[in-house]
Amino acid sequence: MEYDTLVIGSGISGMESAIKLGDMGYRVLLVEKEASIGGKMILLSKVFPTLDCASCISTPKMAAAIHHPNVTALTYAEVEKIRKLDGRFQVEVVKHPRFVDEAACTGCQQCETACTVSVPDQFNSDLVARHAAYIPFPQAVPKKAVLERAGTSPCTETCPAGVKAHGYVSLARSGEYEKAFQLVLQSTPLVGTLGRACFAPCESECSRGSLEGPVSIRRIKRYIADDHYDAHRRLQALPEITHTERVAIVGSGPAGLTAAWQLARKGYPVTIFEAEDQAGGALWTIPAYRLPSAVIGQDLDNLRQIGVSIRTNTPVHRIEDLFDQGFSAIVLAVGTTSPVQLLVAGAHASHVDNALHFLKAVKTGVGTRLEGMTVAVVGGGNVAIDSARSALRLGARVVRLISLESREAMPAFSWEVEEAEQEGVFVLNGWGVESIGESELHLMGCDATLDREGRFDPQYDRTRVQSVPADRVIVAAGMRPATEAWQSTLTLAGGGRIAVESESQATSWPGVFAAGDAVSGPTSIAEAAGAGKKAAEAVEAWLSASAFSPGPMRLPRVSQEEVLARQSQYALRPPRGGNKALVLHPHDFTEVEPALTESEVRDNSGRCLDCGVCSECQECVAACPADAIHLDAREERFETTVDSVIIATGFKLFAADRKPLYGFGRFKNVITGMQMDRLLAPTRPYHTVLRPGDGKVPESIAYIMCTGSRDQTVGNPLCSKICCMYSNKQNQLIMGALPLADVTVYDIDMRTTGKGYEEFYVQTRAMGTTFIKGRIAEIVEKDNGNLVVRYEDIDHGGQILEQEHDLVVLAVGVQPNHDVERFFEPGVLEFDDYAYVNEADEILSPGQTNVPGVYVAGTAAGAKDIPESILHAGSAVAQASAYIEGRRLPV
Amino acid sequence: MMSGRRDVREIIREEPIHRREIQTALTDGGKTVPELAALLGYSSEELVYWVMGMRKYGFLTELPDVTEDGYYRYQVGPRGAI
Ligand SMILES: Cc1cc2nc3c(=O)[nH]c(=O)nc-3n(C[C@H](O)[C@H](O)[C@H](O)COP(=O)(O)OP(=O)(O)OC[C@H]3O[C@@H](n4cnc5c(N)ncnc54)[C@H](O)[C@@H]3O)c2cc1C
Ligand code: SF4
Ligand code: SF4
Repeated sequence: MEYDTLVIGSGISGMESAIKLGDMGYRVLLVEKEASIGGKMILLSKVFPTLDCASCISTPKMAAAIHHPNVTALTYAEVEKIRKLDGRFQVEVVKHPRFVDEAACTGCQQCETACTVSVPDQFNSDLVARHAAYIPFPQAVPKKAVLERAGTSPCTETCPAGVKAHGYVSLARSGEYEKAFQLVLQSTPLVGTLGRACFAPCESECSRGSLEGPVSIRRIKRYIADDHYDAHRRLQALPEITHTERVAIVGSGPAGLTAAWQLARKGYPVTIFEAEDQAGGALWTIPAYRLPSAVIGQDLDNLRQIGVSIRTNTPVHRIEDLFDQGFSAIVLAVGTTSPVQLLVAGAHASHVDNALHFLKAVKTGVGTRLEGMTVAVVGGGNVAIDSARSALRLGARVVRLISLESREAMPAFSWEVEEAEQEGVFVLNGWGVESIGESELHLMGCDATLDREGRFDPQYDRTRVQSVPADRVIVAAGMRPATEAWQSTLTLAGGGRIAVESESQATSWPGVFAAGDAVSGPTSIAEAAGAGKKAAEAVEAWLSASAFSPGPMRLPRVSQEEVLARQSQYALRPPRGGNKALVLHPHDFTEVEPALTESEVRDNSGRCLDCGVCSECQECVAACPADAIHLDAREERFETTVDSVIIATGFKLFAADRKPLYGFGRFKNVITGMQMDRLLAPTRPYHTVLRPGDGKVPESIAYIMCTGSRDQTVGNPLCSKICCMYSNKQNQLIMGALPLADVTVYDIDMRTTGKGYEEFYVQTRAMGTTFIKGRIAEIVEKDNGNLVVRYEDIDHGGQILEQEHDLVVLAVGVQPNHDVERFFEPGVLEFDDYAYVNEADEILSPGQTNVPGVYVAGTAAGAKDIPESILHAGSAVAQASAYIEGRRLPV
Repeated sequence: MMSGRRDVREIIREEPIHRREIQTALTDGGKTVPELAALLGYSSEELVYWVMGMRKYGFLTELPDVTEDGYYRYQVGPRGAI
């Protein structure tokens, strides 16, 4: 689609330009970066000097602009680049995703009400909250919701299981623990397990980590799992079986359970085949002091509740048997159940056990006590640590952990090694086993474990030897999948791992998929669960004969720098919650990590920085009656060609904290003129005019004029032209709203240059506003929030006086909007000395820039009030039209 | 990292964690912001953000009359207790 004119910005100047050009028959593309058209005018209370209601006179213009047959209005969109080409302009536009289907959205605001993320409302000058899902303001045009999404939060992006970590943290913050539980269930049934035994990679990436420590994301999950299970809640909305194809899952570790869970939720009849006598796979090797057995049982019950059939003691030897039994697809999730044996003398002695067998026996209560024994655990990974700490709990007198690796190179997490040591485990680094004797272990030095290519290739130093006593030896030297039986039917990779096509998890046998540690080698619960989820998606695609496409791509991760830059300062709040109870030589398998209390959960979730803004908690999706929320929407870019361009990007308000003397940002009852206009508007942030410091109805209000204008100290010698008049307007409105309030204006002089403006000012005086010609020397905040204004009283001999007020309003002025600078290549469009768009001939051709065909309307060219902006837009329109027609005339 | 007032974004972000205690504090009758501040131990300024955010989304509403000191009282709003 081509247009005659591009209008950038839809404030009163942009709307006026678009409507007038449209009326003249030109096709107009109106691009507005906010989610509603209307600019600043729609946010005002009333307008000077007529005191017409701003929204009453703005909304017809907004409706006219959006419904005009010749105007295409794009909101939440930006112009990226404009290039002149053969006398016309090539324009690149990006339309940001609203994540809401505009056609379906009815503006009912249910999503906004349900949303769990609160941020400052820019349309109320940050005086109150809005939600991440929001409708900009009540008269927004279009009145459609938008979700503010800056990207994927680091925690969510990192979770290998695909759990929306930020989502459940934000639900927990609102006390919605059951909803948080349900959100985790969308990814995996192992809520309680992951709440305790996940290594929490999310926390390593948490943006809060660079402040005073990450949000305790995992422990919050533990709380929400306990909250659900302790209340004996059953799952709601159980899926119905809607497919005839049956799916067999082989193996019931995290990968198999999650694959089964996902497929059952999609309506497939699922049967899990498990060789052992209990479902759970490797979860049964995690000692109870980290993961109590009851929690595994609770998580497994989720699967039973949705109808997954689990057949234990049923090893699958031949895959074809499953097809013969009528299964249409199979997921192999058999984990790594074969321990790697030590190839040394004595390795098969009766006092030598492998760690997997040992840990499982301990957990299921069939392990023997090790009272008074000296135990050696061989290995440097997490399984070795679990074994060593379990041995202590079984009564061992001495436990040594023999690691081939140096301390730094140990595969176990460093915190796990430290905890083991705190409990009394002795860690010996850089030693390999030479042989195993009846009551001792013969060790030899190990200088390195990897070769130059990073492959495992231990370099022993046989001159360095020692023997350590060992009544029992537990070997944790690695694990591999037990896939020997499938060697002839499936393609296997190194170490017996099942080879799969990396995206779809498909094995070499059509209809057979594989997931988890059986594919990747030993990983973690979360990674295995994530692989199970992916395999389920692939099975579903295969069964429905559709091409496999991995789930919707996430938005790019939000950078920590971007997140931290959103605030000027942070209050540090170290994470609350009891530390692990570590004692020397613990005697039992009681959980070492205490549960967070509810108050600690609130406190911790309150520390979350809402990195992605929207947390993906999905509350809006559930709340929207029109099914209009689409989190997988993405930005759209397009190019178009136009004959002319009108820049109507308006102005920025002076940032009042650049005048530290006045205390904005430091003193709670110092606000800006725009904030006061919002307080006076019908769609105001509070129910009436109150001071923000404590909600008091102000009795004495001071105005400080020329804040950021006519002031060389902030680099702006210009008068802003509007602040005198808007302050007068506000003074009159305040006297209407708060008849008892006193208003004092500290000014240099009053600039009332417009029809009826001087009369308006005289009226303000007559209504009781006190005007003091005074330069402000200082503002001091009192304990009660009142403000003492020290000023030089110019009309009375320059004496320094003080007056106390309970609210100070800074009449902030107008600043250029630097957005314009990036539309064209540098140097193409000219700017004046104050960075406004330069009007080449301001007097004779207002609105004309130095680029033929490019015009400027309204405050983008300098400070103007509304009537002046409309007039200026008229001039820009006339010139744009003349330019277009001129080009069309035959030469 | 921190001097004087907290960042508005930080205060507003925390509003959901205070909803329940604020509503609970109002069960025995409407209260002004300074009364809530004294009862709950938060600053009046932060409470204004929380009270107004809760009011905006229906968790609280104001009572019609202003107190002698110039404050409105707030009570549980149309959305009911959470
Ligand atoms: C507190 C206050 C009170 C006031 N009261 C009055 C009053 O009573 N009477 C009166 O006559 N005047 C008043 N004014 C002045 C009035 O607000 C302005 O004159 C008027 O808003 C100017 O309109 P505009 O279209 O030029 O700019 P704006 O209203 O600033 O509109 C510019 C539009 O462009 C959009 N935009 C910006 N950059 C881009 C981009 N890169 N891409 C796309 N879109 C972009 C913006 O989002 C905005 O919608 C007041 C001003 C203030 C601050
Ligand atoms: S601050 Fe919150 S959203 Fe950001 S990474 Fe941490 S938990 Fe996730
Ligand atoms: S309009 Fe008035 S307050 Fe604003 S800069 Fe000009 S003189 Fe100062």
